[in-house]
Amino acid sequence: MAAVEATIEQVKKIDVDQYKYGFETDIESVKAPKGLDEDTVRYISAQKNEPAWMLEWRLDAFQRWKTMTEPTWAKVHYPKIDFQDQYYYSAPKKAAGPMSLDEIDPVILETYKKLGIPLKEQEILAGVQGSRVAVDAVFDSVSVVTTFKDELKKAGVIFCSFSEAVREHPELIKKYLGSVVPQSDNYYAALNSAVFSDGSFVYIPPGTRCPMELSTYFRINEKNTGQFERTLIIADRGAYVSYLEGCTAPMRDENQLHAAVVELVALDEAEIKYSTVQNWYPGDKNGKGGIYNFVTKRGDCRGHHSKISWTQVETGSAITWKYPSCILRGDHSRGEFYSIAVSNGYQQVDSGTKMIHLGKNTSSRIISKGIAAGFSQNTYRGLVSAHRKATGARNFTACDSLLIGDKCGAHTVPYIEAKNSSAHFEHEATTSKISEDILFYCRQRGLSQEEAVALVVNGFVRDVLQQLPMEFMAETQKLIGISLEGSVG
Amino acid sequence: MNVAVMKTKFEQSLTEQFNHVSARLPGGAAVGVARKAALGRFSALGLPNRRIEEWKYTDLRNALKEPLAVAVDDDTKVTVADLIVALGPLAHLEGPRIVFVNGGWRRELSNLEGAEGIEVAALGATLTAAQDKIGEALAGTTGPDNDAVLALNTAYMTDGAVVRVGDGVEVGKPLLLVFMRAGNEGRFVATRNVVSIGKGAAATIVEAFIGLPGSTAEGQHNSATEILVGDNARVTHVKIAADTGKATHLSNWMVGLGAETVYRGFQLNQGLGLARNQIFATYHGEGAKLDLSGLFLGRGTEHIDTTLVVDHAVPRCESRELYKGVLDGEARGIFQGKVIVRPDAQKTDGKQMAQVLMLSPDAEFDSKPELEIYADDVVCGHGSTAAELDTDLLFYLRARGIPLDTARSMLIESFVGEALDRIEHEGVREVVLEFARGWLANLGR
Repeated sequence: MAAVEATIEQVKKIDVDQYKYGFETDIESVKAPKGLDEDTVRYISAQKNEPAWMLEWRLDAFQRWKTMTEPTWAKVHYPKIDFQDQYYYSAPKKAAGPMSLDEIDPVILETYKKLGIPLKEQEILAGVQGSRVAVDAVFDSVSVVTTFKDELKKAGVIFCSFSEAVREHPELIKKYLGSVVPQSDNYYAALNSAVFSDGSFVYIPPGTRCPMELSTYFRINEKNTGQFERTLIIADRGAYVSYLEGCTAPMRDENQLHAAVVELVALDEAEIKYSTVQNWYPGDKNGKGGIYNFVTKRGDCRGHHSKISWTQVETGSAITWKYPSCILRGDHSRGEFYSIAVSNGYQQVDSGTKMIHLGKNTSSRIISKGIAAGFSQNTYRGLVSAHRKATGARNFTACDSLLIGDKCGAHTVPYIEAKNSSAHFEHEATTSKISEDILFYCRQRGLSQEEAVALVVNGFVRDVLQQLPMEFMAETQKLIGISLEGSVG
Repeated sequence: MNVAVMKTKFEQSLTEQFNHVSARLPGGAAVGVARKAALGRFSALGLPNRRIEEWKYTDLRNALKEPLAVAVDDDTKVTVADLIVALGPLAHLEGPRIVFVNGGWRRELSNLEGAEGIEVAALGATLTAAQDKIGEALAGTTGPDNDAVLALNTAYMTDGAVVRVGDGVEVGKPLLLVFMRAGNEGRFVATRNVVSIGKGAAATIVEAFIGLPGSTAEGQHNSATEILVGDNARVTHVKIAADTGKATHLSNWMVGLGAETVYRGFQLNQGLGLARNQIFATYHGEGAKLDLSGLFLGRGTEHIDTTLVVDHAVPRCESRELYKGVLDGEARGIFQGKVIVRPDAQKTDGKQMAQVLMLSPDAEFDSKPELEIYADDVVCGHGSTAAELDTDLLFYLRARGIPLDTARSMLIESFVGEALDRIEHEGVREVVLEFARGWLANLGR
C-alpha cells in the first residue's frame, strides 16, 4: 500500500516544531545541590519551612526508597536512570511561595500566557465566553500562584499549594497524606514521597459543590531537573469537585523525570472528577529527549455511594508509566476511567487503570482508546478485581486500539480477577486500522487525507472526549490533531 | 532478579530421582544427553512460581508439594475390561487406539486396526531403536526452553505416540491416544507425543487422560504433544482430561501450522485437582486457520489453568479462541490468552473469547486475554466475561414448570454448547458432551 510509504515520510517530517510548548523561560532559579541523599531531602524540607513531622515523613519514605528496585514489568525500554545525576529541587528565585499576582516575576506570567493559561482573574471575569477556572500554577518545583482563592474561600473550599496546606491545614494533611498511596507503594511513589516539592491541595467541605473548575498547570522549565509534585484532593460527604491538570515542558535533548503522586479521597456520596491533559515534551523524531513520566494516581472511594472518575488525554512524554486507579471501598461506590493515549514518533506508553472492588454493589467502567502511530508502542495494562466480599461488583471494560502505520505496536494486557460469583465482569478489546472504505468515503466528499484521518480519529475517541470538561474539549481535539499530523496511513 | 532460593522437596526429589531411573529411560546416547540437559534446565529454573508473570495465577512451587516416584517400566495389571470401564463414553468411539498405562505402552490393550495411511508407533520403542539423529529430533521440542514443566517432560518422558499421516491421506476415523492412570500408588508420569500431518492430509486425533476406577486418586501427569501440520492439511485435535478430582495434569501442546492449513483444537478439563494446559501455536505458512476451544469444569478446590500463546508470525492467518468454564465450590479457573501479531503479519484476523459461569460464591476466575500487535493492517479482538447464572432465565424456566435442577442444567448445557460445537467430528463431539453431562449430573444442587 503506497500510503504506508507516505506515512513514513510524513512521520519523518514530524519534528520538534510540532511541539508548541517547547520554549524555555530564562529565569534565575534556586536549586538544590545535584544528587539525592538524606541532605537533599532535608534541604527541600528546609526550603519549604516544613514542620518536623513532615520532614520525618519524607525521611521515612527516603529510607524505604533506598531498599526498593525499579519496576521492570512495563512494556517500556529506556536506559537506566542515574538518580544522582539530577536536581531534585528548583524554584524561581523570587518566588517564595504563592503570592499575589502583582508580585510574580513577569517572565513567569509571560510563560503561562504563552501556554494559554489564564492567571489573571480580571481578564477571565471580563471574558464573555466560557466558565471560570481557578488555576494553581506550578513552575518547576514550586507553586507560583493560585487564582480565585478568595472566592473559593467563601464557599469553604480550600484550594492552595501543597506547601501552604502543610502550614495552614496540618490536621488534614496528617490525616490524609499517604492514606491512598502509601510511601512504600512503589519505587516512584516512594521517591516522590521523599522529595516532592509542591503540588495542589484541595478540600471540599461536606455538602459543597465546588463553584468552579479547579485546575493545576505543571510546567518543567529547568534543565536536568526532575519534577515531583503531589496532589491531594479530599471531597467530604456529599461534595463535588471537577479538577483539571495540564502539563508541558521545554524541548531538551536529555530525558527529564517526572514522578508525581495524586491521591483522591471521596467520602460518603462525594464525587471527584479528575481530568488530565498530558502534553509533556515527547522527544524529537529520533526519540531523543522527552519526559519520563512515572506517575502514581489513585483514588479511594472511601464512603458509600462515592464516585471517582478519571479522564486522561495522553499525547506527550517519551515514556508514560501511569495507571490511575480506583479503590472501590465504599458500598455502591463507582469508579470510571476514560483514556485516550496517542503515541507517535518513538513514544512508549504503558498506561491503564486498576479497579479494585472491595465494597458491595460497586461498579466500574473503563473506556480506553489507544492510538499508535510512527514507531511508537502503546500498551493498555489494566486490572479489574472483585474481592470475596465484594458481592454485586460490576465492570465493563472496552479498550480499543487504532494503528496508523506498520512500524508501531498496540498491546493490551488486561487482568481480570473475579473472586466471587456475583461479580459481573465484561471485557472487550479490539485492534484495527482505519478502514480504507471510510477514508475513501471521506476523501470522495472532498476532505484531504489528513482531515479524513482526523475526522475518523475524533470519532474513535468521542466516547472519552465527551467526559472532558468543556474547557478542555476544544484544546484536546486540537492536540490529537497535532500528535497525529502526518501519520495518515 | 536472580535470588537463590531453597529447592522444595518436589524439586529436590525430581532432580535426584534422575540418577536412579536414567538408565531405564528409553533412548541412545544423544537422547541421554538431551535428557540430562533438560534436567539441568529444570534444576536451574525450579518449579514456576507466582513471581514469573506467565505463572502468576498458578504457583506450581506452592501447589506441588509432595513428590511422587517417577514411573518407569510400570507393570500395573490392567485388563481390556478395565480399559473399557475407564474409557467411559470413549469406549464407544470407533477407531484405532493406542493405550499407555502409567506412561508405558500396552500392546495388548492397543488396537491399531483401521489405521490405514497412518503410521502409529510407541515413542519408547522408537527411541530405543532409533539412531541418534532421529532420537535427538524426537527429544527436541519447539516449545519455549525456559519452561520448567516442558524440561521435566524431556528429562523423564517414557513413552507416548509417534504418529505420521502421509501426504494427501484422509483418515476418516479418529485416532485415540489413551493415557491411563492405574494402581494403588500415585506416580509421576511423563509422556510425549510427536505428530506430523502430511501435506493435504486430513485427520482427527483424540488424546484421553483418564483414571482407572478403584485406583488411587493421586497422580501427576506431565504430557507434551508436538504437532506439525503440513500445508493444506486439516486436523481436529481433541484432548479429554477427565479424572476423579485429585490428580495433577500438566500439559503442553506445540502446534506448528503450514500454509492454508485448518487446525481445530479442543480441550476438555474436568475432575482435575490441578491442571495447567499450555498451547503454543505458531504459523509457518500464510493463509492458515487456527481454531482453539475448550471447556473447563471445576468443583471442590480444583484449579484449572489454560494458557495460550498464538504467534502470528506470517501474514494472512486467522485465529479463533473460545473457552468456556463452569466453576462450582471453591474451584478456580484461569484463562490466559496471548495473541502476538509480528510486524510482517499483515491481514491477521484474530478473535478470542473466554466466558465463565460461576455457580458458587466462592469460585474464582482470573483472566488475562493479552494482545501484542506490531502490524497495522489487522483485525484483532478479545473478550472475557464472568457471571453467575441469570436469575431471570432461571425464573422463566421455573415459571414454566421446569424444576430448579433441570433448569440449571439446561442453562449450563446451552452455555457450554457453544464451545462444544467447535468440534467438527460428530462422534467425538458426542463423547465430550457425554463427559460434560456426567459432570453436570453430579452438581447436586
